[in-house]
Amino acid sequence: MEVEMLIRDFIVENFLFGNVDVPLGDEDSFLQKGFIDSTGILEVVSFIEEKFGIKVEDDDLLPENLDSIRRLADFVVRKRSLAA
Amino acid sequence: MPVSDFLSDSAARFPEKDFLVWRNRRITYGSMSRKVDALAAGLADEGLVAGERVGICMGNSTEYVMAYFGIMKAGAVVVPVSEQSTGRGLAAILNNCQASMLLIDRVVLQTLLEVLPGIPSLRRVIIAVKGDVEGEGAEERIQDLPPGPSGFRFLRQILTEGKGKVVPCITREPDLAMICYTSGTTGSPKGVMLTHRNLMANADSIVEYLRLTSHDKMMVVLPFYYSYGNSLLTTHAKVGGTLHIGRNFVYPNSVLELMVREGVTGFAGVPSTFAILLNRSAIRKYAFPMLRYLTQAGGAMSPRSAEELHRILPGTDIFIMYGQTEASARLTYLAPADLRRKAGSIGKPIPGVRITIRREDFTPCAPREVGEIVAEGDNVMKGYWGDQEGTARTLRSDGLHTGDMAWMDEEGYIYIVGRQSEFIKSGGHRIGAKEIEEAILELPTVHEVAVVGEEDEILGESITAYVVAKERSGIDPHAIQRCCRDRLPVYMVPRKVVFMDELPKTISGKIRKNELRRVEG
Repeated sequence: MEVEMLIRDFIVENFLFGNVDVPLGDEDSFLQKGFIDSTGILEVVSFIEEKFGIKVEDDDLLPENLDSIRRLADFVVRKRSLAA
Repeated sequence: MPVSDFLSDSAARFPEKDFLVWRNRRITYGSMSRKVDALAAGLADEGLVAGERVGICMGNSTEYVMAYFGIMKAGAVVVPVSEQSTGRGLAAILNNCQASMLLIDRVVLQTLLEVLPGIPSLRRVIIAVKGDVEGEGAEERIQDLPPGPSGFRFLRQILTEGKGKVVPCITREPDLAMICYTSGTTGSPKGVMLTHRNLMANADSIVEYLRLTSHDKMMVVLPFYYSYGNSLLTTHAKVGGTLHIGRNFVYPNSVLELMVREGVTGFAGVPSTFAILLNRSAIRKYAFPMLRYLTQAGGAMSPRSAEELHRILPGTDIFIMYGQTEASARLTYLAPADLRRKAGSIGKPIPGVRITIRREDFTPCAPREVGEIVAEGDNVMKGYWGDQEGTARTLRSDGLHTGDMAWMDEEGYIYIVGRQSEFIKSGGHRIGAKEIEEAILELPTVHEVAVVGEEDEILGESITAYVVAKERSGIDPHAIQRCCRDRLPVYMVPRKVVFMDELPKTISGKIRKNELRRVEG
């Protein structure tokens, strides 16, 4: 849960410019919502690498891993457990 | 040849060949040509007459392509608009060109409804549902639409009503084919008028220097509503090639996998596309035996990136190209053989285009002397829609004044050094700083603002707004960014907002933007 919260805060802060009134579900696709573009996703990657101390490999850059708050959180947890 | 004939001619030659591949669906030339005929007939039944302007506000899709050729087949003028536009931006464009009809993706409907009462010229809105071209669109009834003004139809209905009918093509080459809106220096976007002859001349030229044939398969990640993406559509339709349609480049590995699987032969991008490929993708882990060429427009390629791409893709040619919407897309290209020898150059004019570098008094520059790029050719626009003054400033007796400053070497290779006009080039978008400044100035707490492009490794330039607030309390960077987001597409929102006590100015009061670019380094 904490991971999801931190990711949500980052997304709201950086892509919704702090506007908490914009509806954003944990499963909502960033792509379909249209507020993250190809460089935005790189910012998200830098954030999770730094915040959670994981290394996102080039192979990991897939929508299955990154395209919603839930997917990102699951991905972070997976990566952490692999590293442990 | 009218542009809609590109499709019908290829359909006559290759009826069973794939024209479009989109989300694992394949549309043949024959099938698309029949759909386009049906749409053109359906639009005519709806009262569309030749010369009227019809907007397309859709992401890249088979429906977009059908709308594009269908509108032209009916003799009308295509006005493409980004599906990321705000309602305000969409209304401004449709009002400027007095569009009578609009085709939209279902997802755009809500945005449109907010501004629809303010677009009096619009008498029909046609809604595309995913799968319309393939005949698998969701079954929606007209009464499912939200309440709003009358005049809504589903694309499906228009296609059904037009099925089996053919509209006689009365279009001539000098007729208007498209109006492409592009950022202007004065704030509001300008409507670049392109004729069928303009598009045909450019398509012929590109086909010639890229040696495109019906065997070519292009991976499209650029939006069709920009002239670069549009040129991918026209050239491949002309030669009978195949377009693999993508909507964006957010997940490069998904695109790379598709390219390998489908044996794609061509890939087109802007500098940020290749920066992402080289820095944040798994490109080194794939082999692309079928990839014949890459094209990059929107900026020169650094020697380091070119070398790296050569190393990763040893059998693939790299073409650097330059152009602008006012030239239907393309003006120059640097041949692959010259990439190392003439690093940093945008090459020489494409076939059918003449280019001179001119001084402020319009006399030609000497070799290596910096001046403005001036172009002539059948691909040069007719002018700006409803803007005689802007047209007269840009289209002069000696040709199209591009606003780009450059020099030419003794062998005729051109090197761009900067822009005369105030544009920011960010991630493939040409953005007018003025448009962003005007949006920010709508905040009552803002006294003054200057927007500049600052060097960015991936984007080329990223947008920074320097703001002087009337009072520092009650305003923060987020307020500025939110204000922009409400009024502008997401790619125009400044990445960075810097508050200042005052902006640096010349004695005459002009803001020194170069000095601002140095503030943050």
